[in-house]
Amino acid sequence: LTAGDPAGMVAAKGGTPFGAMAEAPGTGKGELAALIAGTAAGDRRAFAALYGATSAKLFGVALRILRRRDLAEEALQESFIAVWQRARSFDPEKGEPMTWLIAILRHRAIDQLRRRAARVEGQGQSEAALLTMAAGEDSRADRGAELGALERCLELLEPPARQAVMLAYAYGFTHAELAARLPAPIGTVKSWIRRGLERLKRCLDG
Amino acid sequence: MRYDDPQLRELLAGEYVLGTLPARARARFERLMRADPELARLVDLWSARLSPLDAPTRPEPPPPRVWQAIEARLPKVVPLRPRWHESVRVWRRIAVGALAAAAALLIFVLTSLPPAGSGGRVVAVLMDKGGTAGWIATLNPRKGEVVLTAVRPQAIDQAHIFELWAISGRGPPKPLGLMTASLAERATLPSAALPPEGGVLAVSLEPAGGSPTGAPTGPVLYTGKVL
Repeated sequence: LTAGDPAGMVAAKGGTPFGAMAEAPGTGKGELAALIAGTAAGDRRAFAALYGATSAKLFGVALRILRRRDLAEEALQESFIAVWQRARSFDPEKGEPMTWLIAILRHRAIDQLRRRAARVEGQGQSEAALLTMAAGEDSRADRGAELGALERCLELLEPPARQAVMLAYAYGFTHAELAARLPAPIGTVKSWIRRGLERLKRCLDG
Repeated sequence: MRYDDPQLRELLAGEYVLGTLPARARARFERLMRADPELARLVDLWSARLSPLDAPTRPEPPPPRVWQAIEARLPKVVPLRPRWHESVRVWRRIAVGALAAAAALLIFVLTSLPPAGSGGRVVAVLMDKGGTAGWIATLNPRKGEVVLTAVRPQAIDQAHIFELWAISGRGPPKPLGLMTASLAERATLPSAALPPEGGVLAVSLEPAGGSPTGAPTGPVLYTGKVL
């Protein structure tokens, strides 16, 4: 797998267990929240430490979505400028630091995808592997007890709905792009996504 | 489309986080979200629900140029600029009335600031007569300095500059230095220059180079009591 390959989504086998957040040692959410608070107060050392602790993960996610290093670098840069400017709006009572940071990055990366007339085409090897995994055709034995709540809930979806939801999240595909890939009529894709989200919410919140 | 339908709001929030909305629908949703904190909350909840999908993605160290580019875009921290002229004259017309009028806003600003201890304590909020904050002064005890952060950018012509003054008790204002109101710059001054609690920090508009008399000559635009 090359560095620029958005392969992370399928690294579950023999890699990071699905559902466990991969963070550098010594930078749990309490530390990250403190670094964000320091950034909000204008402390550059806290900001630099926050970058040091989280930029590799965020860059990995940016590469997965954008598939081009130059675009991923741009998204990462814009994201950290936004983090510097908006650190005050982070409320540790309401959310996880890493989720907040990734949401900022996804926002920029997906905007960038939408701005570009022609996206980088081609279904990578990892995407094929993801499709297989999303379809539930891989062996689950090696993940066993480590199934996270989200994955358990994803298992409840019909395989095409599960594929559609996971592909959309991993790569920021629109309904039309999903329809072309799966392949399926766009109306069908929309209803998979809608029903998929409803079931996920019921399952995760219930 | 009707954006008050709870089911539709939930679906759009989910699709926004998922990334399936086409460009225009996405831009429209973002506008709605900015004006609708409840909608933003639904988005946060979906981000939290779906975030485990990012867990298996391999971290990849970005090249050093990314951090260099970020650092180059942060506000520059510069000492207050020295004045050209030094002389002292009595001046004490500070808009004290404005301070009381702006108390409510002060509380708002203070409560929306980050907790103390993380990088600085707010020692003054400098506001105009209408109660709008222009600068926030934070004390960094570790470095022994006070940092003035402009809250909103104010363009002024080349012939003028902002001058910062310290007023303690009934004494004349003491010039502290010159600064811009650029968001790209933060002015620092030694914490020893800060007036004691109850004193006032004030900003006047002066000719470039600072007040020629050593006392404010231009309008006093911002004042803030030292907390």
